[in-house]
Amino acid sequence: MTLKRRRQLAGVVFALPAIALVVGFIGIPIGQAIYYSFTQWNGLTSTWIGTSTWTQAFHNTNLWTALRNNGLLLLSVPFALAIPLCIAVLLHQRVAGWRIFRSIYFLPTAISWVVLGLVAERFFAYQGTLNSIIHALGFSHVSTNMLGYESEALIALGITFVFTMIGTNTMLFLTGLATLDPSLEEAARIDGAGRWRIFRSITLPHLRRFIQLAFVMTVIALFSALFSLIFVMTGGGPGYATTTMEFLIYETGFNQGDFGTAALYGLILFVITGIVGVVQLRLIGSNE
Amino acid sequence: MTTLMPPKRQRKIGRWILFGSMMVVAVIMLYPFWIMIITSLKSESQFLSGGGFSWLSWSTLTSVIPIGQEVLSSTIVCSSSILIILCVGLPAGFAFSKLRFRMSTVVFLVIVSAMMVPLQAILMPEFVNVTKLGLTGGYFGAILVYAALGTPFSVFLFSTYFRGVPDELIEAGIVDGLGYFGVTWRLIVPIAVPAIATVTVLQFIQIWDDLLVGLLFIQNTSERPITVGLAVLSAGRTTSIPALMAGSIVSAVPAMVVYLGFQRYLVKGLTMGIDR
Repeated sequence: MTLKRRRQLAGVVFALPAIALVVGFIGIPIGQAIYYSFTQWNGLTSTWIGTSTWTQAFHNTNLWTALRNNGLLLLSVPFALAIPLCIAVLLHQRVAGWRIFRSIYFLPTAISWVVLGLVAERFFAYQGTLNSIIHALGFSHVSTNMLGYESEALIALGITFVFTMIGTNTMLFLTGLATLDPSLEEAARIDGAGRWRIFRSITLPHLRRFIQLAFVMTVIALFSALFSLIFVMTGGGPGYATTTMEFLIYETGFNQGDFGTAALYGLILFVITGIVGVVQLRLIGSNE
Repeated sequence: MTTLMPPKRQRKIGRWILFGSMMVVAVIMLYPFWIMIITSLKSESQFLSGGGFSWLSWSTLTSVIPIGQEVLSSTIVCSSSILIILCVGLPAGFAFSKLRFRMSTVVFLVIVSAMMVPLQAILMPEFVNVTKLGLTGGYFGAILVYAALGTPFSVFLFSTYFRGVPDELIEAGIVDGLGYFGVTWRLIVPIAVPAIATVTVLQFIQIWDDLLVGLLFIQNTSERPITVGLAVLSAGRTTSIPALMAGSIVSAVPAMVVYLGFQRYLVKGLTMGIDR
């Protein structure tokens, strides 16, 4: 056997376990999800019913509620980017003790969203921190209970989501700022440019790729990482007010036992994240 | 007003404003820890009435939450999954960057794009498959699912990392009669220590903190990981909140220690691919 052949053979052998794991646990289930979305399925037996699962699903108001909730939560994305950007710029000034501040800011990123959800529940609760703050500000007759009302629970979830994303996004932006050549800013300052002008004309364009990456990661988290927060904070309620696509999949499959419809909802989620992924690839491609 | 001040003093005021805003952010980011600590230091009645201090929720913690068992479960699931992710991802990353075979680029792209598939999208078939294989009885189902979900990223990270390894090094090892397994074990693994650390730290935090897989793929309640145990107790709404907060602290400590100790590996992993 030639050396080249042997090297290729070794390559195949080395890659095989990873291929098997990914195909077996990710690839095959995607195919199955497509098949089962055309069936009536309870996990044990499935009967082919063609496209009627699809027409039923699209007439189901829960699906539209979940999609609307995800859509509304997208409004929190600008905050999940702008706040970390400000924090990163603050840290980048490198005042005394900035390393300690950096560690503190990143610390919540280490803990589970289950735990952060528990804390957020305490924050928004009737006897929680939010009401204490409101009362301390002198509005003693005002009391909120955001998680208890259909109109406000989603806002509370969005605020919690922004908080949970702060650490990761700040980290990304700070890394981006660290790669910025300080002599550029210096030159601009000598030319008489103000702080805001330097930020807009030098810092922001430099951070473009980092902002794009943070944007994509935030949107993907919004569609696929809220499960823990919803599970502990609201259980999807009140009603369906905080049920997003991923929670609807869980709810439909495991609480209602309708595996076929849940598989179909999974496919919809798959298409949505796929679109976000393609957008990301195109963004990266356009930069190179 | 500011124009009347000498520039030195102006700069000093600017510094204080900067420092003040950083303190405000610090208070907000530390809020979860503060609330966990003070709430855990109250008995249930003190918690409801607002005042007071008690060790009760800590001294009775093990009777409210099977915390030792849960931490053990988390540790078993975490370490086994990470071991598989490393053993599968490192050779594959090496193969895709240095031992290319026919179609290897296409296969690589397919594996990497699997990173974008959220578990929820394939949750139903995954659950039924793993259940039919009889793997939800112990830890194996969850371990394999975590391993499969973590593999695409680790393949991507290792292959990017190994791209910088000179081909001559591998050839020299082969000429010396090490064989490809020998080259991998003796030459590649030692080079890859920083990449191994990055994968380990990222996956540890991901798996330790995860709810969904542990909730569905570990059917035995006595084998529940800690994050799942906390979430289920909280959803039940009958457990005392001070005890839940004490449990939360226990679950948060290992991840925080790893996080603070290996911060730079984490940053490296997160920004992989864009800060070359």
